Amino acid sequence: MEAIIHIDNVHKHFGRVHALQGVSLDVHKGEVVVIIGPSGSGKSTLLRCINHLEECDSGSIVVDGIPLDSAQNINAVRREIGIVFQSFNLFAHLTVMQNLTLAQRVVLKRARAQSEKIALELLTKVGIPDKAQAYPIQLSGGQQQRVAIARALAMNPKIMLFDEPTSALDPEMIKEVLDVMLALASEGMTMVVVSHEMGFVRAAADCVILMDEGQIIEQATPEKLFTSPSHERTKLFLSKVLHL
Amino acid sequence: MDTQPKPRPSDRELARIPGAEPSARLDPWWWLVVLVIALTVILATVKSDPFWRILLFVRDGVAVTVFITATAFIFILIVGMLGGLGRLSRNPIIHGVATLYVEIIRGIPLLVQLIWWYFAFPVVIQQIGRWLNISVMANYQANAIVTAIVGLVFCYGAYMSEVYRAGIQSIPKGQTEAARSLGMTYFQSMRHVVLPQAIRVILPPVGNEFIALLKDSSLVSVVAVADLTRRGREFMATHFDPIEVWAMVALVYLIMTLFSARMIAWVEKRTRFER
Repeated sequence: MEAIIHIDNVHKHFGRVHALQGVSLDVHKGEVVVIIGPSGSGKSTLLRCINHLEECDSGSIVVDGIPLDSAQNINAVRREIGIVFQSFNLFAHLTVMQNLTLAQRVVLKRARAQSEKIALELLTKVGIPDKAQAYPIQLSGGQQQRVAIARALAMNPKIMLFDEPTSALDPEMIKEVLDVMLALASEGMTMVVVSHEMGFVRAAADCVILMDEGQIIEQATPEKLFTSPSHERTKLFLSKVLHL
Repeated sequence: MDTQPKPRPSDRELARIPGAEPSARLDPWWWLVVLVIALTVILATVKSDPFWRILLFVRDGVAVTVFITATAFIFILIVGMLGGLGRLSRNPIIHGVATLYVEIIRGIPLLVQLIWWYFAFPVVIQQIGRWLNISVMANYQANAIVTAIVGLVFCYGAYMSEVYRAGIQSIPKGQTEAARSLGMTYFQSMRHVVLPQAIRVILPPVGNEFIALLKDSSLVSVVAVADLTRRGREFMATHFDPIEVWAMVALVYLIMTLFSARMIAWVEKRTRFER
């Protein structure tokens, strides 16, 4: 099967820090890939390279057959990819409804009525249709993150990226966001997720990747990783995050 | 893990929520505007010679001052936005030109700039016209009001560029990232996401610039523009009553600036509420 995301030997420096050291990864259509690893291991950087929020120094990234090599291609790829950030990044000056319709209208040129209909369907899907006229600041973190997911889905992406979507949330709000992500995974969405929610990993991940110091250490199914990891580094990391 | 503290609403953000702020009452500082107007009216009625005569004499100057300030300010808002975006551009040429403009203009006194535009610039145009044999340019004469507006726009545009730059930079980077990753172009994300938020932030300094411009517009009186200040000088030259003339001119400026300040405060309060 052809990979929908093809990452080949990518390097990235931040000043003197070598953040990505020759990372190669294939993600197939409908696959849910979860990237775990310690802080500063390059997980988020790798994710942000996929939709070119970070530019890699060398190597190549091809998304759905489109190489990330020109401004035109980058915009084309971004239209196929939705991203959800740790800090939500909802547009602070717009209502929830306007947050969901802005890019539909400006980028996809959808009519107002159509974009609002789609927005309302998605808000219903993430469980907060009653918040359409609220401003982001009036919502809880969990609600904001669900709006952010709905905003990304409104663009009909083929791929969804999640950059630590639950790390900024209060514990009791994590589940409501994970439930939305699980539903999305069960619908067959291609997802790349940076997260340490092991419950989500067990329930939804097709493949888990452990990164450390800018490299992929191990790539395996969740069962394989949790029961018999092949690398010492993986064992050490899991022993810490699983609180065993 | 790279956890970030949960973003908490600041007072300013809370104030943005419709209904979270007490209903818009009339700003108490309006009484100061009323007081200064009352003082002017009393002077003009109780001692109409010379005060009323002074007011009548300078009233066309008031119109000129208002016209120059308002026209210049519209252009300053545009030049400032372009300058601010230029200062933030990653294109080294655009960034260089914008930075050069801001640094040079900020380093030269406004009065010198106005004099340069009025007395030196036309000569430059005439010289070029003579070399190139273009009679329109060779016979170029400066229009005082247009030249004054150009001078004010050039100078204040540089200061305004810095105001815009600071405002745009105050908007979290995540806002642009979210907009761009939804497929918006640079200009779309600026227009729909960054600038609408930045403009709310820069409103107080923009208001300051407006009031400063209103006052600095008095400098155009040295380049043959018959504004309020120049009309005051003309009246003094024929009547020799400096105390009365300059008291009246000062009062008229004060009415305009105090009124502007209240209007700006009102707009600021209004834009906190969402559409």
